[in-house]
Amino acid sequence: MRTVTGIRGTINALAAIFWKGMKHYTRYPGGFLLYLILPFLFTILIFGMGRFIGGGNATLNFAARTGTTNVLVYEMLGSAVWMTGWVVVDDVAVALRDEQMKGTLEQNFLAPVNRFTLLVGISLTDIAITTSIFFIVVGVTLALTMPGAYLGLIQAFLMLLIGLIPLFGIGFLFAGFVIKFKEPYVFTQMVNLIFGALTGTYYPVTILPYWVQFLSGALPQTYVISNMRQIVLANQTLVSLYGSIFILLALALVYPTIGYAVFKKLERNASVTGELSKY
Amino acid sequence: MDPVEVKTLSKRFETKEGPILRKKRKSLVAVDGISFSVPRGEIFGLLGPNGAGKTTIIKMLCTLITPSSGDASINGHSVVKEPQKVRESLGVMLTGERTLYWKLTGRENLEYFAALYHLQPSDTKKRISYLLQLIGLADREDTVVENYSTGMRIRLSFAKALLNEAPVLLFDEPTASLDPQTSRLLRDIIRNLKKEGHAIILTTHNMDEADILSDRVAIIDHGKIVRLGSPSELKERVKSSDIIEIEAHNLSDQTANALQSFSEISKVAVSAVDLDDNKGLLRIHVEKGKEVLPKLLEFLVRKQVSITKVSFIEPTLEDVFIAETGRSLRD
Repeated sequence: MRTVTGIRGTINALAAIFWKGMKHYTRYPGGFLLYLILPFLFTILIFGMGRFIGGGNATLNFAARTGTTNVLVYEMLGSAVWMTGWVVVDDVAVALRDEQMKGTLEQNFLAPVNRFTLLVGISLTDIAITTSIFFIVVGVTLALTMPGAYLGLIQAFLMLLIGLIPLFGIGFLFAGFVIKFKEPYVFTQMVNLIFGALTGTYYPVTILPYWVQFLSGALPQTYVISNMRQIVLANQTLVSLYGSIFILLALALVYPTIGYAVFKKLERNASVTGELSKY
Repeated sequence: MDPVEVKTLSKRFETKEGPILRKKRKSLVAVDGISFSVPRGEIFGLLGPNGAGKTTIIKMLCTLITPSSGDASINGHSVVKEPQKVRESLGVMLTGERTLYWKLTGRENLEYFAALYHLQPSDTKKRISYLLQLIGLADREDTVVENYSTGMRIRLSFAKALLNEAPVLLFDEPTASLDPQTSRLLRDIIRNLKKEGHAIILTTHNMDEADILSDRVAIIDHGKIVRLGSPSELKERVKSSDIIEIEAHNLSDQTANALQSFSEISKVAVSAVDLDDNKGLLRIHVEKGKEVLPKLLEFLVRKQVSITKVSFIEPTLEDVFIAETGRSLRD
């Protein structure tokens, strides 16, 4: 059989992995619908708790700490980014374990395709899914509460794209852990909740203890959420936020490098111990 | 150089067993220094009971498991040093039907794997149509795999292994859980692949399949090759004995062991036929079988064994396995 070598072969493989993932999502749309609904449900939950605790002064207290009275947009931006991280960690790490249990992971690893290509291919599907979630969730919220904020939406979307790169690095890291240690849900549930708590999803990270803020600073979502709020609610531009964008770009270099190195090491280790083939 | 060359390949698994906090390290030798080679146009069978190490050998050859020591080359590439090149030269079918994406159609599955094997897109469509025709799934190519029967899934998995027309093909139990008609179809295809010059390794615990398909067979037990040769050569080794097969109820290992007291008997193996019915099968390698048979039957009756069938049989590869290990392949 004639084969396609080099970059064209890699692109063909990436496209195949991407479309395989998309077909799974479209044929079984329950997961996608859940990801769409969850940000609204979480926001309602937080909104209710805020009203209950803050009473009549809830909005004033909120404005004093955040600089905006638009609670809904503030919380929805946090929810949407949280859900993005959720999808990436779930899809890259859990999907790999899912394939391991079904037996299809071995079939992928039997093919002469680079492991990095496999991970990037899965990530491409996730980019399509997460950006769709973002546009629908944030787009609907802005259309209802801040009609005309299209420029803010586009800039917030660009912010998300930059933030996705380090997020996928974190996904690669957990993919390695899952292949080695199994039990994906222990890892992903824990990590998703930690992300929710540390990245300022529903409150500014400044209310966290100093040492916790230090941890928050290592997570890309912290910058993405904060910058999106600055853009949409405080009329800042991407250019004016260059400092945190620079940090995000640095994280975009660090996390994928570390994530893939750890994945490769644990995957090689699993090949020695035979863990790779254990369902 | 042969397309497959295996040199003192070993695999040792380290495990931890026991209750939490008191786990003890255990070492299991799954494959123990095996060597063999497979030339072009040969079907090489790996025959052995479950747990003998056949699948571990296959998984080392296809780079899914790293050997503990030794090496193997596939099409001139080392499985240890050049795993990517090895994968390019291999077509692999692993056991089971869960090797496909059940939410994709048959054709979509093949298209997906064709891309992972970097096949030229312009050739892919034609190749997939040919393979679907070959395995009799052309009329179901657009059905999602979850609606396939077990046999159809295994056939599709088989076709997947042929996608890249690799010089070396590895089939792990290709006809397990298939009906006789489908098994025959796959065996015919495997024979044709041999004629085309592919080097083929086939694992099976089905002695008939190993016998009729393989040019040479390696009998594997506890990770070692206990005997290697053509099926006829191997069977020739046990032809000096008569082989008596006795089907009976109330057979036990003690009864089988007691039969060893007969000086004419060289090997005895017992295997269960129907556990619910307490039914078993005795296979006895014996000198001058016809002379010994009456006192053999008398002995069994005295031991309260209820005999339902007695026959003299031609030696099979199972008898070679019994002669080498003293156990049945079905143990």
